[in-house]
Amino acid sequence: MKRSRFKLATHAAYVSAFLTLIAASRVWADPPTTWGRPFDASLDGNKIDWLFKFTTIAIGILFVIMAAILIWATVMQRDTGGRKAQYEHGIGRKHLLLTALVSSIIFFGVDGTLLYSSFVDLTETFWKWPTAKDHPVEVEVYAQQWVWNFRLAGPDGKFNTPDDVVTINDLHLPVNTPVFVKIKSKDVIHSFYLPNMRIKQDAFPGSITQLWFEPTKPGQYVVGCAQHCGVSHYKMHGTMTVESQQEYERWLHDESTAAKRRFDQADSDAHWGWDWEI
Amino acid sequence: MESHEHDQDHDEQHIHPEPTSFIRKYIFSMDHKVIAKQFIWLGLSFLFLGGTMAMMIRWQLANPGVPFPIIGKWVFAGSNGIVSPAAYTSLFTMHGTIMIFFAITPIMIGGYGNFCIPLMIGARDMVFPTLNMLSFWAQFTSSCVLVASFFVPMGAAAAGWTSYATLSTQLGTPGWGQTMWVIAIFLAGMSTIMGAVNYITTVIRLRAPGMTWFKMPLTVWGLWLTAILNALFVPVLGSAAILLFLDRTFGTHFFLAGAMVKGGGDPLLYQHLFWIFGHPEVYILILPAWGIISDILSFFARKPAYSYKVTALAMVAICVLSAVVYGHHMFVTSMSPLLGESFMVLTMIISVPACVLFLNWLHTIWQGRLRLTAPMLFSLGLVFVFGLGGLTGIYLADIPTDLYLHDTYFVVGHFHLTMAAAVFLGAFASIYFWFPKMFGRQFNHTWAKVHFWLSFIPINMVFCGMLVIGNAGMQRRLYNPNEYELFRHLHPLNVFISYSAFALYFGQIPFIINFFYSVFFGKKAEQNPWEVTTLEWTHASSPPVHHNYDVIPTVLNGPHEFSNPLVTDKDWLGQCEPLPSAAVVAEKKPAG
Ligand code: HEM
Ligand SMILES: [Cu+2]
Ligand SMILES: [Cu+2]
Repeated sequence: MKRSRFKLATHAAYVSAFLTLIAASRVWADPPTTWGRPFDASLDGNKIDWLFKFTTIAIGILFVIMAAILIWATVMQRDTGGRKAQYEHGIGRKHLLLTALVSSIIFFGVDGTLLYSSFVDLTETFWKWPTAKDHPVEVEVYAQQWVWNFRLAGPDGKFNTPDDVVTINDLHLPVNTPVFVKIKSKDVIHSFYLPNMRIKQDAFPGSITQLWFEPTKPGQYVVGCAQHCGVSHYKMHGTMTVESQQEYERWLHDESTAAKRRFDQADSDAHWGWDWEI
Repeated sequence: MESHEHDQDHDEQHIHPEPTSFIRKYIFSMDHKVIAKQFIWLGLSFLFLGGTMAMMIRWQLANPGVPFPIIGKWVFAGSNGIVSPAAYTSLFTMHGTIMIFFAITPIMIGGYGNFCIPLMIGARDMVFPTLNMLSFWAQFTSSCVLVASFFVPMGAAAAGWTSYATLSTQLGTPGWGQTMWVIAIFLAGMSTIMGAVNYITTVIRLRAPGMTWFKMPLTVWGLWLTAILNALFVPVLGSAAILLFLDRTFGTHFFLAGAMVKGGGDPLLYQHLFWIFGHPEVYILILPAWGIISDILSFFARKPAYSYKVTALAMVAICVLSAVVYGHHMFVTSMSPLLGESFMVLTMIISVPACVLFLNWLHTIWQGRLRLTAPMLFSLGLVFVFGLGGLTGIYLADIPTDLYLHDTYFVVGHFHLTMAAAVFLGAFASIYFWFPKMFGRQFNHTWAKVHFWLSFIPINMVFCGMLVIGNAGMQRRLYNPNEYELFRHLHPLNVFISYSAFALYFGQIPFIINFFYSVFFGKKAEQNPWEVTTLEWTHASSPPVHHNYDVIPTVLNGPHEFSNPLVTDKDWLGQCEPLPSAAVVAEKKPAG
C-alpha cells in the first residue's frame, strides 16, 4: 500500500518536472522576436511607456529587496537547534517609526510620482479633448456583435448625412492629425482597443464614450475588441490604416462619392450615426 | 474592565451531548468542526473541477483546434473533442465562478472560518449552530444548481464571472444556463451571509475569559474582518443578481439599453453594483489567508509576530479602504475625470497598509529560527506570490497604464497572483497546518514539501507568463489569440504558460494521495505537534472532542509568545500558560 502510493506520487513528481522542462525549453528553443509592447505609433503613447518604465524599475527594486529578504531568511536563518530566535514584538516607538518611514518613502516616492505624472498626463493629454481649433478628424464608432462600424462625416463635416463614409472593420486616418473618437454599441459591451496607440475605451449600448489619440506613423494597425462580447469576441477585430494627408483625402473623396450614390433613405439600420459638435 | 468580561456569553455555553445518529452527526450536523469539514470537502471537489476547466482553457490556447486529450471526446462530444468557441466562453466563466464562490470561499471561509474561530477563541461552538448548518446546506444547494446548469440546453453561463449586462441578459446569453448561474450566485451569497452573521457574533460574544481583542490570533482577525466585509457587501451582489434575474425572466429593463431594446435601463448600473461587491470580494478571499500566514510565519519562525497590533489594524484599514476603490475596475468606461482620479488616489492609498503588512511579515521572519515545515513553506510562498501580485497591481491602479492594460492578460496574471496563487498557497498552508488537529492524524511531511515545490515553481511560471503576454497586448477571454496577427509571435509563450499550468495540475497528485492516505491511515497526531501557542493546540485534543474544551481556558498571553528569554525549558509559551517569573511574582502578591 505504502509503496504504491509513493510510486504514484513519484510519477506525478516526474510528470510535473517533465512538463516544467518542456515549458521552459519551448521558450528557449523558439525565442520570440519581441515580447514587449507592440510598436508605439502614436504621439502620446510614449507617456504611457514612460510610466511603465518608471513603475517597472520601482517595483523591480522593491521586488528584489523583498525576495532577497525572504530567501536570505529562509536559507540562512533556519532552525538548526541551539540559539533561540530574537524575542522582539516590534512595538517600540523606533519600530513603529521604521515601518512608518519605509511605508512613506515607498508611498511618496513610488505612488506619489506615479500619481503626479498620471494627473499631468490625464489633464494635459488623455483627457484633454481636442477642440475645434485642433481640427481633429472626428470618428463615430458603432460596435456590434462582432464587427466594428466606423463613420466619418465626409466633406460636409456633419454626421448622419448622405455623404458619410461608413466602413466595416476598416478605419482610415490621416497621419499627424488628432483623432477624436465617439463610441457606442448596438448590443452588448465591447471595448475599442488600439494596442499600437496604447489606448482603449469601452463601448456601451445606450451611452457614448470617447477617446482621442494622434497617430504619427503611417502603417496598418489592429483595432481589437477588449471586452468579452460573446462567442466570437476573438474574431472581432479590424484594421486601422494610417496614411498621408493626400492619400487619406483621396480615399475619403472616393468613398464619399460612392456613399452618396448608394445612399438609401429607407434603410434606417444604416443611419446609426448621430450628430455632435466639439 | 471586570464587568465587560462578564458581558460575554462564554460562561453560558452549555455542553450539549454529541448526537449519535449518523444523519445528525455527519450530514445535518451543527458541530462547527463537522461543518468545516463538509465545506472543505465541497470546496476541494470544486477546486479540482475548476482546475480541470483551467486546463481545458489552457489546452485550447496552446493547441488551438486540437481535441482535448482523453476526456475530450466525452466532455466536448458535440465537437469531436475540440473545445468549441461556445464551450470556451462557458469554461472561463464557470472556472472563475467556481474558483471564487465554490472553491476558495468554502475552503477558506466556510472551512477554516468554521474550524478555527470557535477553537481559537476558546468557544464550544458557533453562537448559532443551526444557522451554521443552514449555511452549509444553502451552499450545497447552490452547488447543485451550478452543476446542473452544465447539462441544460445551450449550456452553462458564458458571460464571464463578472456577467456584465447586457451580455448576461437574454440579449447576449439566452437559455437556462445563465439564469441558473444567477440563482446559484444568489444562494451562495445567502450561505455566505449566514456564515458571516455567525462569525461576527461568535467572535464578539464567545471569546474565552482573557481573550481580549488584541490577544486574538491574527487568523481570527482575518476571518472576522472577512465576515464583516461579507455581511456588508454580499447583499449588494444579491441585489445585482435579483435585478439581473428580473431582466432575464420577467422582461424588465434594469440593465438593458441600446438599439435592440426600447426603454432605458443602464448596463453601467450593473457594473457599479457588481464592483461595489467585487472589489471587497478580492479582500474577502485573501484576508483569511493573510491572517493565517501572519500566525504561521510567527509560529514557525519561533518569533513573535512583528507589530502584531499594527498588522491587525492594517487589515482593518484595508477593509475600510476596500469599500471605496471599486471604481478602478471601470477606468475605461469614460467615467467623470474627477471620479476616475479619486479612485486612482484611493487605490494607491491602499498600498500603504498593504506595505505595512509586508514589512511586518518580513520583520517577523527576520532573525527568526525558521522551521521549514510544509505550512511554513506555503506561507513563505504566499508572501512571494502576493508580493509579485501586489506590486504588479500598481500598473493597473494608474489610469494611463490601465488604458493600455485593462482587459488584457496582464490583469489575469495580476489577479491570479494575488487572489488565486496566493489564496491557493494559503489554503494549502492551512490544510497542512490544521490537518493534525482536524483529522487527528499526521500527513507525510516529505511529500507535502514536494507538493510545495511542484506548486510553487509552476504557479509562478504560469502567472508571470500571463503578465508578460498581457504586457505584449493580448486580451483576456480570447478563444484563439492567433486570430490576431499581432499576437501570433506570442504563441510559444502561450504554450509555455499552458505546459506550466499542466505541470501545476499534475503537481497536485502528491497532495491528493497524501491527503486521502493520511486522513485514513496517517500516524496518530499528538495534541500539539507544532509546539505552538494557540488554544486549539494547547487545550484541545487532536481531534477535539465534540464540545472542544471540557473547561473553557482562561487566556493570559498573546498568541505569539515565542523565544521569550524568561521561558527556559522551551521556546514557546501557550496562551493560557503563566510566565514562570510572572507566576512567582503573582504568588508573592497578596490575594485580592
Ligand atoms: C491555480 C491554477 C489556475 C489556473 C492555471 C488558472 C487559469 C486561468 C485561465 C487560463 C483563465 C482564463 C483567462 C482568460 O482567458 O481570460 C482564468 C480565468 C479566471 N480565473 Fe483562474 N486559474 C487558476 C486558479 C484560479 C483560482 C484559484 C481562482 C480564484 C480565486 C481563479 C479565478 C479566475 C477568475 C475570476 C478568472 C476570470 C474568469 C473570467 O474571465 O470571467 N483562478 N484562470
Ligand atoms: Cu466586441
Ligand atoms: Cu469583444
